[in-house]
Amino acid sequence: MSRLNSYRELEHLCKRLCEERQNITTTVMACDGPGCQASESRAVIAAIRNELSQQGLDGTVRLRATGCHGFCEQGPIVVIEPGNIFYCHVAPDDAFEIVYQTVAKGEVIERLLYTDPVSGEKARTESEIPFYSRQDQQLLSLNRLVDPCSIEDYIAAGGYSTLARVLDRVAPDEIIREIKASGLRGRGGGGFPTGRKWAECREAPGDEKYVICNADEGDPGAYMDRGVLEGNPHLVLEGMMIGAWAVGARKGYIYVRNEYPLAVTHSRIAVEQMRELGLLGDNILGTSFSFDVDIARGGGAFVCGESTALMASLEGGVGEPRPKDVHTVVDGLYHKPTTLNNVETWANVPAIIQNGSAWFASKGTKGSKGTKILALTGRIKNTGLVEVAMGTPISTVVFDIGGGALNGNPIKAVQIGGPSGGCLPVSKFDLPVDFDVLYEIGSMVGSGGMVVMDEESCMVDVAKYFLAFLQDESCGKCVPCRLGIDRMLEIITDITEGRGTLKQLDLLEELAETVAETALCGLGKTAPNPVLSTLRYFRPEYEAHIKDKKCLAGVCKALITYSIDPEKCNGCGVCIRECVHGAITGEKKQTHVIDDGLCQKCGICQSECKFDAIRVV
Amino acid sequence: MLQYVNVDIDGAIIRAIKGTSVLDTAIEYGICIPHLCHVPYLSDIGACRLCIVEHVKNGRSEITTSCTLNVEEGMVIMTNTDKIRKLRRNLAELLVAQAPNSRAIQDIAVRCGVKEVRYPFRNDDCVLCGRCVRVCTEIWKARAIGFVGRGKDRRVDYPFGVRPEFCKQCGSCIQLCPMTITPCDGPMKPGEERLCGNCESQLIIADETPGSCVWCELGEGFACGRYA
Amino acid sequence: MMSQTLDQILEGRRSQPNQLIEVLQDVQENYGYIPEEAMRAAAEGLGVPLMEVYRVVSFYKAFKLQPCGKNNLIMCMGTACHVRGAHLLLEQAVGQFGVSPGEVTPDGLFSVEHVNCLGACALGPIVRENGSYHHHMTPGKLRKLIEGLRPHGTEEIQHVKA
Repeated sequence: MSRLNSYRELEHLCKRLCEERQNITTTVMACDGPGCQASESRAVIAAIRNELSQQGLDGTVRLRATGCHGFCEQGPIVVIEPGNIFYCHVAPDDAFEIVYQTVAKGEVIERLLYTDPVSGEKARTESEIPFYSRQDQQLLSLNRLVDPCSIEDYIAAGGYSTLARVLDRVAPDEIIREIKASGLRGRGGGGFPTGRKWAECREAPGDEKYVICNADEGDPGAYMDRGVLEGNPHLVLEGMMIGAWAVGARKGYIYVRNEYPLAVTHSRIAVEQMRELGLLGDNILGTSFSFDVDIARGGGAFVCGESTALMASLEGGVGEPRPKDVHTVVDGLYHKPTTLNNVETWANVPAIIQNGSAWFASKGTKGSKGTKILALTGRIKNTGLVEVAMGTPISTVVFDIGGGALNGNPIKAVQIGGPSGGCLPVSKFDLPVDFDVLYEIGSMVGSGGMVVMDEESCMVDVAKYFLAFLQDESCGKCVPCRLGIDRMLEIITDITEGRGTLKQLDLLEELAETVAETALCGLGKTAPNPVLSTLRYFRPEYEAHIKDKKCLAGVCKALITYSIDPEKCNGCGVCIRECVHGAITGEKKQTHVIDDGLCQKCGICQSECKFDAIRVV
Repeated sequence: MLQYVNVDIDGAIIRAIKGTSVLDTAIEYGICIPHLCHVPYLSDIGACRLCIVEHVKNGRSEITTSCTLNVEEGMVIMTNTDKIRKLRRNLAELLVAQAPNSRAIQDIAVRCGVKEVRYPFRNDDCVLCGRCVRVCTEIWKARAIGFVGRGKDRRVDYPFGVRPEFCKQCGSCIQLCPMTITPCDGPMKPGEERLCGNCESQLIIADETPGSCVWCELGEGFACGRYA
Repeated sequence: MMSQTLDQILEGRRSQPNQLIEVLQDVQENYGYIPEEAMRAAAEGLGVPLMEVYRVVSFYKAFKLQPCGKNNLIMCMGTACHVRGAHLLLEQAVGQFGVSPGEVTPDGLFSVEHVNCLGACALGPIVRENGSYHHHMTPGKLRKLIEGLRPHGTEEIQHVKA
């Protein structure tokens, strides 16, 4: 394809691509997103491709490997148009049938359809599945329309037309007005009003400005940005370019964390394809706007998600945050005005400019507009990426979309917002997904990671987990973060190992407040949140660890014992064989016994026992 | 040509030189704000957090380090509120619990009002204030030492752990180090660490007139602005 | 993968200090770790002080100062994996190998490292081994996986106290 020199030429290309695709009768959209990849989607896709060729259908049928569809627990997922037929748990061996029956003849294969775990009914399309029907997929639904490595797919679907129109006839100030009016707030965790950020950057003195896409998604348990950037890199790039036009930047960076090699690859391919078409470089589409993008990789440091640390890393140095007495929109990358936004924030921009700020603002609550992608994981039935309108109650997400408890264990809490966020008990599940509401009660929307916990999760252990994580990831520069987190962890470890005292709880709280007030950067300032929120809502668990030396959830090793239930044990000998510490004894067909002195609490016996006879008390 | 701005520190209207930090201005006027990583002729990094103050703007007060905050016309700063004193005390407590084997750190603890240490003592020989690294980098430009590692494992070291030939052993790093000044009773053996709170006179001064200078070891030879 | 020499890696990036991390990424990919020689070459080639290069290598987890084992197990320690028992997996692996995370077994065959999130959270706990992702892992499954990677005839190391 040759270079596009005007808005008109882009329109023609789009039209031509659509015409070329008219002879495609059937499209097979196979998910190759983060979750499905871990379940061998590659093998499925290869098998389908092979079958299409074998059955002579590759002329009229389009096989598209797409980004995440969201229902990761049910992957690998394959969707077939026409009919929007939804297949889940697809295996490579199913390829023949899928092509022969569904693709060629339009017949549905019952056993590959989703089965409702309660009613037992089969669903033919997504709209019949509660996991999907309760969502509002504005961004995620675009993933199935494009192969991330194909700019033609993106253009055929109308991509870059918004950018072209903006460059042709919309002034930067008007863009900023629209973004302000839409109420879009940062999706990376800060929730800062995007329009205001862009306005401040635009007003900052200087000719050289930058835009950065923060794809460092470090929150453990969060992979929304991965789903969007890997699945639809052009959407993010289009958003960045509209932003660059608005603030006056001519250079952009996408900073991708080291652990996402595929996102790096897809972004690089996208940028190359754009350069070929002249959508990056000088005089884009024949206008005065020149812009280019580089993809940079992180080095494996959570702290690089913090904006000043990210910029230090882009400059080739260590990711150590610096004080933000002067904002980065004025003094940022290489000390120039810089607009840094999260992947999902950029991805929302094209639709806002296309459909108008009123459209975006019509969804959500007074302070939180639009939709938010959440990574719903943990101890619930349906895990995956979900997108809901802001203001949706947590209970809807956990029970209606998430399907409720796994294994019948009652749900106890939900952790929202990653290591900077807090844990909320079930009694607070009526609260909405809303920046301000969640902040007020000691949690936060954060980047969107939502981990569900049940009776088998120990909340003290959860606080310990996050402190250990932050201790590992802290840059170590400032005293409150480096020493404060260490001492908080010391106290909590004492508690989980049966040495805690009630006085320590008060000290823990005081120390947590000190760290929150005095730390240099966001990592340190929010580090106490898991501790403070679990103390606030789950104090009885802390007290049980201290007073009774008991871990009721059965997690803290020093306070638990593994034992065999005589009513369920049938003496099969599997656990004796599996136990590498020689801690289990017993005759065949007789109840087996675990010697607590030898038991190392490794958990192998419990995971191998087919009769559910091993209990933790 | 020097330009001046007027700032309000603890109720006193002070004429400050534009482009200087709140900390430098305060020290110049005899208002002691405790600090550890600040050295007059080195860059300010805001690492120790001891110099925190309340910066009042738009009806709210923000806690920030005075070494990284530059003076501006009409700025209102409070250096010694109850909140600031409590936070500073907690930070100093963390420091002395980590590295009690230094007269400078013990004096800081006294100055900041630490009366008891509620954490088990450790016996570290470095508080990572970065004075040594900055003098080697900024004054001598040798870059023979630097911070390596991250978080709990952060330490000062040579490249590859071996002293390079371009280290001329000038001794500046040792001179500025707060750990080289041992407590007056001598080094504390492991297991015998304590909050020394020595020099009754210093304790009395710190109690009776909070915020006043206790002529701590940060003074002479250690480049506290007060002694300049 | 074709091994690139240090010169090839530095090409087009000379005298550009901001390329340090990209250069180190390429060195890590090609050599499996960052040799001292590579750090010195990067310092000279990019115009970055040697102390700064060493600092950057020691700061980021992606850069290793020692090569890892032939089979490097990467265990995900993310929140979702943690609440599904990932810590038991790490202890299992450490116990089976007898080395801590970041170290290599004496025979050079195994090493284990933990990562804070692999981004496949819905299917945790996840263990990554030589490019393959294993999902819904349990201590029992992990023990079998490790045994399967051990060459025939080598003895299992006695399980040590975690």
